[in-house]
Amino acid sequence: MTTNGNDILRLKNVTKTFSGVAAVNDVSFNVNKGIIKALIGPNGAGKTTLLNMISGLLEPDSGYIYFEADTISHSPPHEIARCGIGRTFQLLRLFTANNATVLDNVMLGANNKLKPNILKSLFLRAQTNKAEKSTREAAFEILKLVGLENAAYLSPLTLSFGSQRMVELARALMSQPKLLLLDEPASGLNDAEVDEFMETLLTIKEKGVTILLIEHNMKVVMNLADDITVIDFGEKIAEGNPHKIANDPEVIRAYLGDDHIGERD
Amino acid sequence: MMKRRIISIAALLFLALYPVTFGGSSPYHSAIMIVLGIYVILAISLDLLVGFAGQISLGHAAFYAIGAYASGILTVTYNMSPVGAMLVGLSLSGVIAAFIGWSVLKLRGYYLAMATMGLAAITHTLIIGMQSLTGGASGLRDVPPFRIFGISMDSYVHYYYFVWAMVVLVIVCCLAIIRSPMGRTLMAIHSDEAAASTLGINCAFQKTSTFVASSMFASLAGSLYAHYMGFLAPDDFSIFTSVHILVMVFLGGVGTIYGAAFGAMFLKLLPELTHTFQDYELLGNGLILIVVLVFMPKGLWGVITAVGRKLKLTGDAISEGNSE
Amino acid sequence: MDISQIIQFTFSGLTLGSIYALMAVSLSIVYKVSRVISFAQGEFFVFGALTMITLTGIGVWAPLAFALSVLMAALLGSIIEQALIRPVLKTTLGTVITMTIAISLALRGLALLLWGRGSHTSATFSSGEPIRILDAALQIQVLWIVGVTGAALLLIWLFFEKTMLGIAIRASADNPVGASLVGISIRKVNLLAWSWGSGLGAVAGMVVAPLYFLQYGSGVLPMVNGFIAIAISGLKSIPAAVVAGFFLGFVEAYSIGFVSSQFSEVIVFTVLIVVLQIRSKAASGAGFDEKGM
Repeated sequence: MTTNGNDILRLKNVTKTFSGVAAVNDVSFNVNKGIIKALIGPNGAGKTTLLNMISGLLEPDSGYIYFEADTISHSPPHEIARCGIGRTFQLLRLFTANNATVLDNVMLGANNKLKPNILKSLFLRAQTNKAEKSTREAAFEILKLVGLENAAYLSPLTLSFGSQRMVELARALMSQPKLLLLDEPASGLNDAEVDEFMETLLTIKEKGVTILLIEHNMKVVMNLADDITVIDFGEKIAEGNPHKIANDPEVIRAYLGDDHIGERD
Repeated sequence: MMKRRIISIAALLFLALYPVTFGGSSPYHSAIMIVLGIYVILAISLDLLVGFAGQISLGHAAFYAIGAYASGILTVTYNMSPVGAMLVGLSLSGVIAAFIGWSVLKLRGYYLAMATMGLAAITHTLIIGMQSLTGGASGLRDVPPFRIFGISMDSYVHYYYFVWAMVVLVIVCCLAIIRSPMGRTLMAIHSDEAAASTLGINCAFQKTSTFVASSMFASLAGSLYAHYMGFLAPDDFSIFTSVHILVMVFLGGVGTIYGAAFGAMFLKLLPELTHTFQDYELLGNGLILIVVLVFMPKGLWGVITAVGRKLKLTGDAISEGNSE
Repeated sequence: MDISQIIQFTFSGLTLGSIYALMAVSLSIVYKVSRVISFAQGEFFVFGALTMITLTGIGVWAPLAFALSVLMAALLGSIIEQALIRPVLKTTLGTVITMTIAISLALRGLALLLWGRGSHTSATFSSGEPIRILDAALQIQVLWIVGVTGAALLLIWLFFEKTMLGIAIRASADNPVGASLVGISIRKVNLLAWSWGSGLGAVAGMVVAPLYFLQYGSGVLPMVNGFIAIAISGLKSIPAAVVAGFFLGFVEAYSIGFVSSQFSEVIVFTVLIVVLQIRSKAASGAGFDEKGM
């Protein structure tokens, strides 16, 4: 397995089939460290399936996924998270049981470093209390980054959809990921929220986090992405910088001949 | 917070003085409190699993049985000390819970409920079947009173203090778990295991360890029961027992430690206080639970705390949060 | 091994299998439509049987008593669905399960008050000496059991395959949104499913009452075995539930016969746990989902 020192993530011939239909068919691409890479393509093209396989929620039927120096193709999700991959979900998956608050959601991001367990809670009380305190402080810092520090003690269900999105982002950031996977983070946001979001993403990138995002909002993709991979019917049909992609005939065809890419959604 | 401290101290004082004040008139009152204490432990430990970790279990009676019969058999047939027998019961429950929990907790929802129900049923049947060891259907007799540091607790009053010391210990442990990052972890697992795993949470491990803790507490309750009753009958450890404990948890308020404790006490005291005929108990339990489930989603304890908030006894809703 | 014994166990397997098949189907119908597995289903078994016994006791003509008991159970089931299940459907799974448990407690408690702690049995549907095959005795009632079970299952099949209403119910079970878009009332469908389910449970109880002594708590075990059968069949199809029910009946009959009645329970529950383990392994490959079904 040869690794280009600059790549943080490599997918090699990844295939995933559901009931005989290939959702992802022999897809390979790399993600350079420190960039923002966008995965675009029509709905149902297999992009979320790819993200699910990278984060370990699904296993590829064949092919390999490499993260830094590790092979993570068949690793369980919690191990992958501990390696340094964080993610958000297309359909929000916030924690709401037992009166969970926004703060609770974000503080959970620290789990991969803290590794809490029952024995620690029972016998290392002082240590866990100290950890709680510093986790809470760090969580507030991140909430400030996304502008939600005043919502800390509210239930996530009381927030607007856009704010809930930000909570999920904060939660993922809390785990100090090296690679952040975002699944349509801008969908459902209004124009002002999208602009704010783009700024937040740039701030995250500045901190050295590599970002791989699925997005339909072409403003976000064209302005932020350093590199784009286009997926259609489970296959990679184009790859390159935004300018190259915007003029690629395959890509244009995939979006059914619209001369404004992405407007079909 | 201050108010809650005061209430806790008041409760502890009440418990400490109970036998010499309210219950002083007869050992019968201490006996009732012993039974209450045992069920409080059972309810709280089940709530840890069901209300916090979100795993439906109808198998709690199995570990209650293991603790009870370990204590019973080892003290009666093998003359082991009650403390030793209790520790054996705890270890056995822990190990069995770890093994069985690991595979059973892969199931979710209805399947998990059924599998845990199967656990309770199998344990019940095995108890009856292994007659030479357990006394079978006729039961296990002559379990000696509990003995620790050479003190034999043959009076209800003495045993009452020991049992409730254990109850307080269990409550302290469960609160310690819940008010720590682990408690938050359980909440995450309860809400969405897939999302939790992407945060580095090993759901299978955490669910199993909670199952182990919960089962060991149930085993403790079983051992306490064995030395209280002096006699063990298999029918006290069936699926119906598991159901009974689950009813207590939901009646009181699932997902709150004090709620589960309250539910246990309420359900056990109700027949005492209302002097109902035993025959009405089943119907009554069902109807009360139905009413609570439809009209009081936070359980009876939820209603009490809501009233308490109105009367400014327990602080405002926001700081209440989930630090129950 | 005595051939007569095997034959005798087989008859017993037919009896048990019929009950479990009926219980399994009753649970399946309710689940397929409303996504709820009712822990109260066993109580209809008892209510059906004991109601019929009471009615025939006061002189009502047996077939009429049978029909009235089925209707009563169906009515009870529909009332429960509307008044008690619907309010908690949108809450957590734990609450739903506990609600059905609460309903079972209430019904069992009611049965206790109405019929006491004693056991009751009923007259067989027809009189006649058992048929002798070698040394084994086939009770006429067993023929009735298999016959009624067969008729009930046939009725269900006809209803779901051939009637508009039945097809509508299947449609809404597969695709509630789509079904409601074409005007199928989900409420009515749920109601019907629960009525069918409780009616079937009652039939199971009534048909087997002449062979056993039943008391207020007798419904639990058949229901639990119904659970095991649907766990084996996977809740996907009604025919599979029937097969699983009969399979379980035979497993139990042979276990009781060749091992012991105590350990037959252990065997049966171990089958359950093993089957569930196999299911969970199969499910985890396809992807993640929360309900676990």
